[in-house]
Amino acid sequence: MIELRELTKRYGDRVAVDGLSVRVQPGVVTGFLGPNGSGKSTTMRMILGLDAPDRGEALIGGVRYRDLNWPLKAVGALLDAGAFHPGRSARAHLTALAASNDIPGSRVEQALRLVGLSDAATRRAGTYSLGMRQRLGVAVALLGDPGVLLLDEPVNGLDPEGIRWIRDLLRGLAAEGRTVFVSSHLIAEMALTADRLVVIGRGRLLAETTVAELAADDDSLEDAFLRLTSQATDHRGVGAS
Amino acid sequence: MNGYGFRHAARMERIKLSSVRSTWWLATAAVVSMAAAGAGVGLGYRSHTPVATAAQILNNSLGGAIVAQLLLGALGVLMVTGEYGTGMIRSTFAAVPRRRVVLAAKVAVCGGAALTVGLVASFAGYLSGQLAIRGTAIPAASLGDPAILRAVVLTGVYLGATALIGVGIGTIVRHSGAAIGTLFGLMFVPMIVAGLFGEDGIQVGRFVPLLMLLNSIAVTSPVPGLFSGWISTLLMCGYAAVAILCGGVLLRHRDA
Ligand SMILES: Nc1ncnc2c1ncn2[C@@H]1O[C@H](COP(=O)(O)OP(=O)(O)OP(=O)(O)O)[C@@H](O)[C@H]1O
Ligand SMILES: [Mg+2]
Repeated sequence: MIELRELTKRYGDRVAVDGLSVRVQPGVVTGFLGPNGSGKSTTMRMILGLDAPDRGEALIGGVRYRDLNWPLKAVGALLDAGAFHPGRSARAHLTALAASNDIPGSRVEQALRLVGLSDAATRRAGTYSLGMRQRLGVAVALLGDPGVLLLDEPVNGLDPEGIRWIRDLLRGLAAEGRTVFVSSHLIAEMALTADRLVVIGRGRLLAETTVAELAADDDSLEDAFLRLTSQATDHRGVGAS
Repeated sequence: MNGYGFRHAARMERIKLSSVRSTWWLATAAVVSMAAAGAGVGLGYRSHTPVATAAQILNNSLGGAIVAQLLLGALGVLMVTGEYGTGMIRSTFAAVPRRRVVLAAKVAVCGGAALTVGLVASFAGYLSGQLAIRGTAIPAASLGDPAILRAVVLTGVYLGATALIGVGIGTIVRHSGAAIGTLFGLMFVPMIVAGLFGEDGIQVGRFVPLLMLLNSIAVTSPVPGLFSGWISTLLMCGYAAVAILCGGVLLRHRDA
């Protein structure tokens, strides 16, 4: 389980995450929705201890990330950017991370197979397509067979087959009793993948709900989402004239 | 075993260091540059009159360390900034959230690798210098001579310390270009400043890395006024320690 308590982060005088309190339960896929710049990635980074909150805390199974004994075996994370060195092969990247958490080499091969990168494993990761990079990120997340998964926009850059693969993967992982927390701004995709939804806007919690509940009053889930976030969207385009 | 430790982080860092090409390029270039400088010096002195002394040959044939220190310094810098530049640092800190364990592992792995490469490079400089003067009247410099052995070994240690200064600066600055610029600046600017002091420059100069290298460490006997080779080398290690400690303090509180 992931528990956020009054999580707050400021960059300069800009509040990126504002007193966010949420519990993410095991056994279901929880979608993390919000417009661009609403603080999803920042929240994910704070859960992982990469960014320090100004106030509040994020707990995983009751402990802070930095107090985990074997972080990769407890939490698997996919961050938005390609968090790897472009000159290193996928296999070397995974092997290095596995070594840090005493994960056997056989698991590296398993993870490569799971994401379909076995054939490209010796290639430098910098030569990968966007979808392949995303798959490498998923392999890192699965490496330690963790009970908690945090994925920031995992379907970014994936083809339809890849999107379905991620969807089935996440639902399967949740069905095994794991906690799956996945961010997206694609409401339609979340409707198919997630059971529960956490919706934020400008760093604040707007709704903690289920897909069914959110869509109940409106014509479509998209309308419901736009209504919910209409007061809390920073970056809105205008129609071309 | 309850939890990861330094040993695990060090294994990760070793795999990371050996799995990028830049490591091998920089290490090879460091050895080649010292070997080339050694050979160049030896060949240059072959027909020199008066006949060169053993000390002259040795001192000059280690001169390639000027280039090698920049290459190994860059190796140390890139071990840290290469991760910040690419986003890899987030994967690293997610795997090992106690950041000082990561820094300690980088220091151990980089220090070990750079010391090894530094010693190989230094011996390569010495050897190619000696090979290049074979068959001339110039006396050979034997590693059996403690002064010769000391100069060669300490030059290697100096190169290892330079890489660690690189790790420290990389951790403080985080940006590859800026960190390498800072490192090179710290190598050359103080030497120019020491020159401005004229006669009194030696008081400052004996603390300046490059002057220590050329006049105290990589020579059979230090220029008067400078520290002994051992002290100069220790001083370099001290600089590395300071840079790494500063990096360690900053590392703790900054967002990755
Ligand atoms: N390192 C940083 N320095 C300064 N401001 C930042 C930093 N990271 C994020 N922000 C700001 O914090 C806010 C939240 O950003 P964040 O990346 O968390 O949003 P997001 O919900 O992930 O958006 P998207 O859907 O576009 O990925 C934005 O206003 C962003 O500009
Ligand atoms: Mg984001």
